[in-house]
Order: sequence, then structure tokens, then C-alpha cells
Amino acid sequence: MSSHFRDTTLEQDEQTGSSTDLEPGYLVICWNDPVNLMQYVTHVFQVVFGWERKKAEKKMLEVHNDGKSLLTRESLEKAEFYVHQLQKYNLHATLEKNAK
Amino acid sequence: MKLIRAEQDQFEFEMRFGEQARMRQLLQRYPLVPASHHRLSRGKIPKRAENQQLLEEALQSQREEHRKQVESLLNEPQRFVQIERGYRATFSRGEIEWLLQVLNDVRIGSWLALGAPEEHPELKPGISAKAVLHLATMDLAAFFEMRFLSAVSGDLPPGQE
Repeated sequence: MSSHFRDTTLEQDEQTGSSTDLEPGYLVICWNDPVNLMQYVTHVFQVVFGWERKKAEKKMLEVHNDGKSLLTRESLEKAEFYVHQLQKYNLHATLEKNAK
Repeated sequence: MKLIRAEQDQFEFEMRFGEQARMRQLLQRYPLVPASHHRLSRGKIPKRAENQQLLEEALQSQREEHRKQVESLLNEPQRFVQIERGYRATFSRGEIEWLLQVLNDVRIGSWLALGAPEEHPELKPGISAKAVLHLATMDLAAFFEMRFLSAVSGDLPPGQE
């Protein structure tokens, strides 16, 4: 199977697992790609986050125009859940630790 | 493919013979995107490799479930009812939801097979037969995705194309 999105930092585990993982310090980000349809992305945001169409469209346009959009800030577990849901629809989503 | 009736969570479509055949071909191609295509994070997160593994297992398991759903749908004798000009088929909102995921997987998988180009590739002289197939697959998947999305969003009232 292809693994072209893997990189060497995958091997650099941070084995912290501290109580801060329960705090909303993780960002769920959706990245732009040239293949997913705009209407499809809007629909997925509505389904995964339960957003109204207007908000979903606003976030979709952020992805489209700015290259990415911060969708939500959550605990590690919840952020992972959302990334799993978005990736089930083949959206390019990741979670990142909030640097602030 | 035209939405004929939308009642509660049931959506009835009419499709021409060729459209039904193309839809079957698309669904039979599923899955195309490998579970390892996605990564959980671009930065450092706790237990990154372990969590990446969990993500890939979850995606793999979902693909297996969808594969069974596709097989079951394609082998259901009453799913596509033949009419004069083609077929009528009814899908629930839940079925459309997983069909969207399946069709988009086929679309993304074809795009990856084309080398994940930034621009939508064009048909031009010298293009390989394989590339033509991937391009046609992408466009067909988009066609059915848009029809389903228009139906569930209410953008396209029944009877209109």
C-alpha cells in the first residue's frame, strides 16, 4: 500500500500522555486539496460537526481560499475522533497541538 | 439521474440504463484509497505512531464494512426496478451517506493514480488509456456525488435535472 504521506517525524514519538491531553489544546485542521468537491466538503462538515449550512460553507471557503481552516479546538481524544470522521470521508484533516 | 421523490429519509431516483451501469462499475471499483494514505498529524502529538496505527485500522475496518454494503446493494434484486427508459432506485439518507464516502474514495483513488495533480488533467493527444480511465472515473464519481448531495441538501427539487 502507498505510504507517501508518511515522513520521518512519524518515528519521533512524544510519549508524554500527560493530563494536558484532556484539555482542549489540540486543533483539528482541514487542509485544501484540489480534488474534493466544495459541496461535498460542506456536506461533510455539516454531518461531522452538526453545523448549519452557513457555517459549514464559511469553513469550506476558508479551506478553499486560505489553504486550511481551523475547525475546532478539543482534547486529544476528541480531536482524534473528529480527524477519524473527516478522514473516513477522505478529507485531508489532521490534528495539531496548540502551540499557544 | 434524476430525483423523482424525496419523502422523509427516502430518496427515489430515476436513471438511464447507461447511468445505472456506470454506477455499478464505479461501486465495484471500491476501495481505491489505501488506509495509509491519511496521516493523523503533521506535528508532534503523544503516541504518534500508535495513534496513526489506530487511525489506519479504523479506516481499514470501515472500508471492509463499506465493501460488504456495496456487495449487498449490487446483489439486491429489488434495488433497481426496471422501467421503460432505465431504472428506478430508492436510497435512504443513511445509504446515501455511505455511498458518498464510497464514490469519493473511488474519485480520490483515481486522482492518486493520476499522480495527485494540482490541476484537473485534460484529455489531450498522447494521454494513456489508463489515464483516460482514471479521468472518466473521477468525473463520473463527481456526477453521482453531486446528484446525491443535491438530493439530501434539498437544492434540487424532485423532478428537476
